[in-house]
Amino acid sequence: MQTLNYQFPAHEVADHAIHVGVVASGDLEILLQPPATGEPSDTVVVRVRTSVNGFDTVWHDVLERFFLRTPLAGRWELNDFGATPGVVNVRLRQAAEAAKGPNS
Amino acid sequence: MTDMNADTALLPGQTWAQLLARRSFIELNALGRATALLDPGSLRVLAGPFDRLESPWLAPQGITPQADDGTVIARGTVDGRPVVIASIEQGFQGGGTGEVSGAKISQALLLAAADSRAGTPTAGVILFETGGVRLQEANLGLNAVAEICSAILDLRPLAPVIGIVAGTVGSFGGMSIAAGLCTRLIVTPQARIGLNGPAVIEQEGGIDEFDSHDHALIWAVDGGEQRYATGLADDLVPDDADLLRGALVEAINGGVTEPGRHRSERLDVLASRLATLDPAANPVDPRELRTLWGRSYEPVATTFAVGTTPTGQDADPPVTRGRTWLLALTGAAPQPIIPSVASVTTDSARYLAIVPDPDNRFYRARKGEVGVTEALALAQAVRDVIEADGDVEQKRAIVAVVDLPSQAYGRYEEIAGLHQAMAAATDAYHAARMAGHPIVAVVVGTALSGGFLTHGLQANQILALDDPGVEIHAMHEEAAARITLRTVDELDELAKTIVPMSYDVEDWAKLGYCDGLLEVQDADAPTPRDVATVAAAISDAIDRARRGPIDLSTRLDSEAAVATRQASRAVRDLLAQQWNPES
Repeated sequence: MQTLNYQFPAHEVADHAIHVGVVASGDLEILLQPPATGEPSDTVVVRVRTSVNGFDTVWHDVLERFFLRTPLAGRWELNDFGATPGVVNVRLRQAAEAAKGPNS
Repeated sequence: MTDMNADTALLPGQTWAQLLARRSFIELNALGRATALLDPGSLRVLAGPFDRLESPWLAPQGITPQADDGTVIARGTVDGRPVVIASIEQGFQGGGTGEVSGAKISQALLLAAADSRAGTPTAGVILFETGGVRLQEANLGLNAVAEICSAILDLRPLAPVIGIVAGTVGSFGGMSIAAGLCTRLIVTPQARIGLNGPAVIEQEGGIDEFDSHDHALIWAVDGGEQRYATGLADDLVPDDADLLRGALVEAINGGVTEPGRHRSERLDVLASRLATLDPAANPVDPRELRTLWGRSYEPVATTFAVGTTPTGQDADPPVTRGRTWLLALTGAAPQPIIPSVASVTTDSARYLAIVPDPDNRFYRARKGEVGVTEALALAQAVRDVIEADGDVEQKRAIVAVVDLPSQAYGRYEEIAGLHQAMAAATDAYHAARMAGHPIVAVVVGTALSGGFLTHGLQANQILALDDPGVEIHAMHEEAAARITLRTVDELDELAKTIVPMSYDVEDWAKLGYCDGLLEVQDADAPTPRDVATVAAAISDAIDRARRGPIDLSTRLDSEAAVATRQASRAVRDLLAQQWNPES
């Protein structure tokens, strides 16, 4: 397992915390929390824990591209069990949409 | 319309139109399943992902943890009645029971029991999708299953505990014992219930014993329809969220079952059913059981006489640590309950041990494994003591002398419902503990897996000899290595830092449920001093059991637990704190 940390610029803020996905084979879970009081509201803080080592660059590129289009500030925790970049993107978008939508 | 008939086997009670309109339950994740069963808007998740009670044991092994450890605890109502649902996420670690996920289930059930006692009956619902104990947390997972079984039995007289096995993982391993303890068990045709999974049986017994690639065989033995048709499940419902909710409403409204009438208490039924089977001489086809046993859980006619010829009695019984210590501790010759379950009854205690029976008609249980007849005999022996001491103030102790290689891995064990037989023994031990009998387990040899769950892990007090021949674990090392895709060397290396994975009894003693590690000179041929040491320790343990709680809370409150089971203790605190909504 590898733990990767990234930061990206942001100018939107999630409305509420959201949890999507599951740490199942080929999938991942995402926990997204809006910035707490005192935390910067212009930064995406990402921590990835992945079961597959050695894909730092791929993670960086996938995340950078996503947060360029979806600059949603907050603490993003990704617990990954070998998801492909496609699945990662779907989960990221699912989390972003849910975090801006009605609180369920 | 023969096609239609063939298909309706998979869709009982559903037309094609209903099938197309249905909302699949199986396709939902753990949270989705809990949501689908509860009254709309009533769901409240406890110890959810943002509480981050994840397993402390996975990341150090290089395995990504899940924030809620793969088990959703949800409170809410079903048809207006308070319930707590434990929904296992089958995608995460195959639904395996770990320290945290297991503690979440047992503590939720205990809180439901407390509410029920206080006047608000709160039903428990467990959605079983699990391969059993999570081998990466081995001994803590095994103990967690014992605590879940105990909690189900604590709640069951106060409010119904409903088990649902929907699929697709199904219920395997020790959690199937828990399923066998439920007030009612609801299954779909896609469900499977068994103690040992097909791959494990194939690996332990060879491909002739069980071909794990033979899907027809797997479903014929473990499938939801088979379990329902043979009375080991109560409701067979198609994979439809609304129909499953309907079955759950009915089950909860049905309330608690009268004492003595639970499947796991019906030793009469179990005995009569097992008496129809003789796998060594006359192997049965699983389909035959549907007529032989039928759907109702009532005694059946014995078709041929078995067990009437005393087997293994003429020859000298094999010498094992179990038999040796039984004799040494009591000074009396062990008497067979059945040839493979030996007992000595003294004025103050009943001692029980599983011993090899080379002539066992269940041929996979000839080396001292806990099989169906052993589980039944244990249950009977324990229930006999409860009954005999009914009016006595000072209940006799029950001492489980534990030396067993494992549960029996066999095709006919699964056909016969080994999980249900083990549930009967688990239930009996729990009942004895609740009735005030001090239960002391003393591990003198190997204590592995489901065997230990059945014979030992419901005890108030657990002692073990500090001896290299003593091994307590969820699975023997070679098999655990194969299942977790590691080598034995890798497992040994991991065990140095991951305490619950260790095969060393001194590490096991750190897990919080060891009440004494006893030094002896010769565990195989105990010296008089060894015997005196162990006898004194048992006597002390009996005293502690009489003074201490009759539940299993000492396993969380012991000094070792404070150090090692911090995660379980955090689960207990957090669930208690979140149990009632903030006002």
